[in-house]
Amino acid sequence: MKKRIRIVVARLGMDAHWRGSIVVARALRDAGMEVIYLGNQMPETIVETAIQEDADVVGLSTLSGNHMVLAPEVVRVFREKGMDGTTVILGGAIPPDDVPKLKKAGIAEVFGPGTPLKKIIAFVSGLN
Amino acid sequence: MSSLFNNNAIEKIAREKDQWQEKVYQTAEKGEKVFETLSGFPIKPLYTPVDTAHMDYLNDLGFPGRAPYVRGVHPTMYRGRTWTLRQLAGFGPPEETNKRYKFLLREGATGINGVFDYPTLRGFDSTDPFARADAGRGGVAIDTIEDMRILFDGIPIDKISCSLVTCQPICNISVQSMYFANAQMRNVPLDKLTGTSQNDFLMETVITVAPELLPPKFSFKLSCDAIEYCTKHVPRWNPISFAGYNYRESGCSAAQEVAFVIANATACSEELIRRGLEVDSFAPRLSFFLSAHSDFFEEIAKYRAARRIWFRIMKERFGAKNPRSLTLRFHVQTAGVALTAQQPLNNISRAAYHALSAVLGGAQSVHIDGYDEALCTPTELSSLTALRTSQILQLETRVTHTIDPLGGSYFVETLTNKVEEETLRLLGEIEGMGGIVKAAETGWIHREISNSAYAYQQAIESGKMPIVGVNCYQMEDEELPVELFEVPETLQIQEQKLRKIKNERNGTHVREALDAVARCCEKDGNLMEVIVESVKSRVTQGEISHVLKGSYGTWDPPLF
Repeated sequence: MKKRIRIVVARLGMDAHWRGSIVVARALRDAGMEVIYLGNQMPETIVETAIQEDADVVGLSTLSGNHMVLAPEVVRVFREKGMDGTTVILGGAIPPDDVPKLKKAGIAEVFGPGTPLKKIIAFVSGLN
Repeated sequence: MSSLFNNNAIEKIAREKDQWQEKVYQTAEKGEKVFETLSGFPIKPLYTPVDTAHMDYLNDLGFPGRAPYVRGVHPTMYRGRTWTLRQLAGFGPPEETNKRYKFLLREGATGINGVFDYPTLRGFDSTDPFARADAGRGGVAIDTIEDMRILFDGIPIDKISCSLVTCQPICNISVQSMYFANAQMRNVPLDKLTGTSQNDFLMETVITVAPELLPPKFSFKLSCDAIEYCTKHVPRWNPISFAGYNYRESGCSAAQEVAFVIANATACSEELIRRGLEVDSFAPRLSFFLSAHSDFFEEIAKYRAARRIWFRIMKERFGAKNPRSLTLRFHVQTAGVALTAQQPLNNISRAAYHALSAVLGGAQSVHIDGYDEALCTPTELSSLTALRTSQILQLETRVTHTIDPLGGSYFVETLTNKVEEETLRLLGEIEGMGGIVKAAETGWIHREISNSAYAYQQAIESGKMPIVGVNCYQMEDEELPVELFEVPETLQIQEQKLRKIKNERNGTHVREALDAVARCCEKDGNLMEVIVESVKSRVTQGEISHVLKGSYGTWDPPLF
């Protein structure tokens, strides 16, 4: 039997908006994945949880504008711990100009406002 | 049967309408499309006097400024005074936001609507490890009373009404206290101040959850403390604005939005009465904040229904007599969630329709979103375009010339009744589970909103809900025609000020001030009474929150 994908979903820092992260988390769960929903967290805790939970993917969400500081930090902490096998993806209000910079910093994919859920599900499923 | 129509006429219209629908309409309409409101009420092809024949004009609609206030809260409505142009503004350090306030006032804004950054809303200092990356984002950073002084420097706070979008009681209890303390230090008496603060416990525990939340009952207590304080000392201040707008942004339907604000307002009223206040001493100052979403007529119906429900609760349940207690007055913001990152200039037309529904629904004050809402904090150009949209609506369209122009529309009245009925059903359910604080504690309200948000997204995915530029009329490789706002450097500026203040301030005074807060928590006193004094010792917002969390503990919201 194929292993179910495990994904940790977290909102970065102080971001206030849970709607997007919850809708995506529910869609991933409905698509058969195991979702661990963390709420607001900082990179260190997100990475620690992902390691403890043996997560394949970390889904970050933020609409506050803190993504350029905190999202690359998550990737950096993973690398520091020698755990670069975990895929980190990001969703939220991300200005298009920031996308190439984030990808360069190691974010596997960025899902902006209006992204269809099936696109996110397809991306995460494709990682297995 | 109402005296408006006689039975024979209604029967005749009903017969003729059935015939029309059968013989004329149904031959032309294929019956493939589903017609319903955004919250799912079915919509008929045509409404006639038959749909409203059961209504009693005087009891159910009445006159503007008269019970049950469905047609408006003021006798003259916009003929007397148009809605306040209150554009939301706040970003970066207070030095920068102060300049934006002055700019908006110069360009014709008639009130200030100040929003605070994420750390401030949650009661954190800019320099807290959790907060640093968010300092100055989404609003202005406030750490101490010194920041409050800078924010309102040169602005006549004794003349201009200021809305403080403090959102969460843990923010409000210190930030509003700083505003009042700053006024006292400027020698402006508290009874001269006019404005509104948001101060909504559902914001803190359900809608915009954050790290280290207070448990719902304590957040609710802080909210009531501020109302009680203002009732006693700042009589022209609206100490709470029930944030239906934000509930809606999180996913609520129209009826949920109204039900949750009213359930919240009812709970506050009960608590204040329990504390010994007369209903007419505080109820005139309870204010509401609602959304203007994309279903044009349903939104208009929502505002009208909300006024009728609130009137009846205030009169029948609380025995309020002051007309201001009986009227649901509200500020509207156009729905950010209905705007798109795709083809962002389309948002100018969307927000204009949203604002028109608010105005046809009798709003007291309106904020129109910037077209770049889905992308960033509004730029000067997008804020100005939004302000001009409101001015065009006020000055050019003449929609202000008569009161409640859609009153009596068979459709709008039917929809008003429909939203009212669903809202009352939800209110009954909340009452049955022990009220809104319980509904938050058990996670019921989180589930309700989450389910609605999920259903909304499914409707977009399936194409059932068309969104131009998102699931239809998309454009490939679209160039972004807007300039994006860059948040000015905030953290360093706040860090410097905090370091300086912490060096200069009197350590004994700080300790005494914080001890006073802790003691007040222990003896269950009114915290605002204490905190208005404490902030004068230049304790930071984070230091106050720390004491509150130490006394009340923190809570993990049942979101997923």
